[in-house]
Amino acid sequence: MINEATNLVAEALPQVQGYVYPNEANFHPVWSCLIVIYPYITGLVAGAFIMASLVRVFNVKALAPVYRLSMLTALAFLLCATLPLLCHLGHPERCYEIMMTPHLTSPMAIFGFVYAWYLMAVLLLELWFDFRQDFVKWSKTTPGLQGLIYRLLTLGVTDVSEKSVRLDMKMEWILSIVGIPSAFLLHGYVGFIFGSIKANPWWGNVLMPIMFILSAIVSGIALCVFNYIVLTWLRRKTVDMRCLDTMAMFLFYALVVDAVIEGLDVLHRGYAAEEGFAVLQTMIREKLFYTLNVGQVGVGTLLPLVLLGLLQLFRTRVPEATRRVMIFLSGAMILLGVLMMRWNVVMGGQFFSKSFRGVMSYKMEFSGQEGWLLGAVILCLPPIILTVLVKLFLSESDQLRPCEHPQPHVSKA
Amino acid sequence: MGSAFAGLLTASAARTAKAAVQNVFASTSAPKGYDPTKHKWLMCIDDNKCIGCGLCAETCKKENGVPEGPYFRTWIERYIIPKPKPGSGQTRGEAIVDSPNGGIPKDGAPAFPEPTLPKDQIEHAFFVPKLCNLCENPPCVQVCPVGATFRAPDGAVLIDPKYCIGCAFCVQACPYGARFLNPVTKTAEKCTLCYHRITRGLKPACVEICPAEARIFGDLNNLHADDPIQKFYEKNRVQVLKPHLGTEPRVLYAALDKEVR
Amino acid sequence: MFPFKLPPQILRLVLVALAIVGSYFVARSFLTPPTFGQYGWYRGDALQLIASREPVFAGKQSCDECHSDIIHKLEKDAHKTLSCEGCHGVSREHGNNPNILPVKSTGNYCIRCHEANLARPAWLKQIVVKDHYGPKCIECHVPHQPTKTP
Repeated sequence: MINEATNLVAEALPQVQGYVYPNEANFHPVWSCLIVIYPYITGLVAGAFIMASLVRVFNVKALAPVYRLSMLTALAFLLCATLPLLCHLGHPERCYEIMMTPHLTSPMAIFGFVYAWYLMAVLLLELWFDFRQDFVKWSKTTPGLQGLIYRLLTLGVTDVSEKSVRLDMKMEWILSIVGIPSAFLLHGYVGFIFGSIKANPWWGNVLMPIMFILSAIVSGIALCVFNYIVLTWLRRKTVDMRCLDTMAMFLFYALVVDAVIEGLDVLHRGYAAEEGFAVLQTMIREKLFYTLNVGQVGVGTLLPLVLLGLLQLFRTRVPEATRRVMIFLSGAMILLGVLMMRWNVVMGGQFFSKSFRGVMSYKMEFSGQEGWLLGAVILCLPPIILTVLVKLFLSESDQLRPCEHPQPHVSKA
Repeated sequence: MGSAFAGLLTASAARTAKAAVQNVFASTSAPKGYDPTKHKWLMCIDDNKCIGCGLCAETCKKENGVPEGPYFRTWIERYIIPKPKPGSGQTRGEAIVDSPNGGIPKDGAPAFPEPTLPKDQIEHAFFVPKLCNLCENPPCVQVCPVGATFRAPDGAVLIDPKYCIGCAFCVQACPYGARFLNPVTKTAEKCTLCYHRITRGLKPACVEICPAEARIFGDLNNLHADDPIQKFYEKNRVQVLKPHLGTEPRVLYAALDKEVR
Repeated sequence: MFPFKLPPQILRLVLVALAIVGSYFVARSFLTPPTFGQYGWYRGDALQLIASREPVFAGKQSCDECHSDIIHKLEKDAHKTLSCEGCHGVSREHGNNPNILPVKSTGNYCIRCHEANLARPAWLKQIVVKDHYGPKCIECHVPHQPTKTP
């Protein structure tokens, strides 16, 4: 039995160049596809929320048509954010321990609370206040199961007087303000999970949380662009070009800042050239050449920078249809590039030995707990949830526009 | 009256339910009379004495039921330092390190084959046994989300096999590669200092078996004058692995080469 | 009762929040293991659990109970640092029941330490097996007293 097992796995053992600790020459990396997807999904949540906050907090009126869509996007992805973590555990049935006896020095334990806070106290609350009067309206007009769902969602509160709606607006504004640092915290903490590991020079880095937050904002805006274009196309509606151009502008600025910080990180590593730098160089030149240099830097950063930058310069001279295609392409490329960035961070940290003397080449498995298949399935879940949410809460007559809200904070200022 | 009785009833039912839930965690019999607060274990490695026979690594696997394959609680590394290329201006060549099967011989063949480098090009070579470094500031314990791995009062860094969720964060955080995920139990695993032996007054299996006395095990709280630990201190300048990480290991090495990490 | 009246939607949310936080603390009181926190942020019982494993290797002291004559010889010679079970294999069962014989030691065990290897320290006697005389080590060497000849 043991012999059989060892023969079986002998084929799957990684190819090793140089020396790696014997425990590191394992059949697959301890963190795999699922852990790549986890920061990707969490980043999309944080980014989509910050995109929505542009409307609420910074009063960017042009983005109002995508406010609800980006909030629902954030919710759909947040609901799946813990799935990859859960699936990769050796003992998923013990996951409750993270909430029962959270070890306060562990970034992963704190993530459980940050996640719960963000889901319950920020995202769901803000959505509830935003949709409350609609729930009341819809629960009266919609029959059957859907109507029952709306009625449940009102939580039994049917007061939609002007005074009460004004309170909703105020609460939403407060929640948005609380939400921005919370979104930073959510994804900064994910970055900290990696950034706090001092044993690994690829991860252990103070810039890591900041890079994660910035790439999250970029990917979140890109996702909203993507979803907005796809949704209008599906519903045969016309795209609000003012909204799309504004999104492209914010996407461009966010991408510039993100690219600068990531460049700074590379520069700092190269300049300090601390212990283990030689092995990091090998990683960039060989092991991660395609996903890092081509995928993350080329397709995910430089190409969109050029496309979006050109649009900023020559917006008026580019016809609308071309603009749409350019923005859509940039969004899609950024989404791909950020996925590559997560791959490079998570897998890059495991392709070399902590003895800094060797590198491993793994054969990524297709099925199994850490395989491609499960990763792909989990990545497909949020769009499915989003489709349901959009069906339920974004009716076509809504024209992707939130109800006209008074802005309570403006009148005070 | 009735409501008070009902309250009592639910309270006692809750207590029973709680006891039932917590019974899952009740543990089996263990050696009596061992008080973890009365000891402070440490390990010293006299790496000049290691002959690279691999008995420690092999014994460890047997003693602790470690699965076949790339799973080691302790292992032996061989360092070969080549002479510098003539005229290169280097003090010495790039170190060649290996640890085939953790230093355990396979199928009667020697564990460490003759180096491919010709003998006259080798400056010197040596073995270094490795294990959990029993850090005083263990990064693995710091990152465990549930408190399943911990540093016991006696200095042993242990894993609770009934509580570990198998997230592998500790495997990533250990700078020494001393941890792995056990493919059978799906929990993290590492050297326990043979906790089941030292609590019974025995030495850890690797220390017991080492034919060269390269591993010295002792209790800082109960040192006597001619304790091997004491002698090790007096005789050697001691070093730890990766001191810049601030982990403060309790596995001490005698005069290491700079290439060892 | 209250100095001011909470708006209905806020009141509803406060109730929901209280229910969630309350059920968290109830669940926590049920699901926290009893000895958690006895010594630190972990189950105190875990120490017992880890210590409850049965030792596999018996140790030289156990061998000394019956084979003190051999150990006595061993102690006087160069192999005094060797452990019995290093060459004879795990002997716990043999200790409990002398009829179960331990593994017969072979020349492989000699070679394991004495085969020449560059990384071995110079004080250790080493041979290059293929250049060294003999099919069997024990024709010329006594394992328990390596400086003596048979």
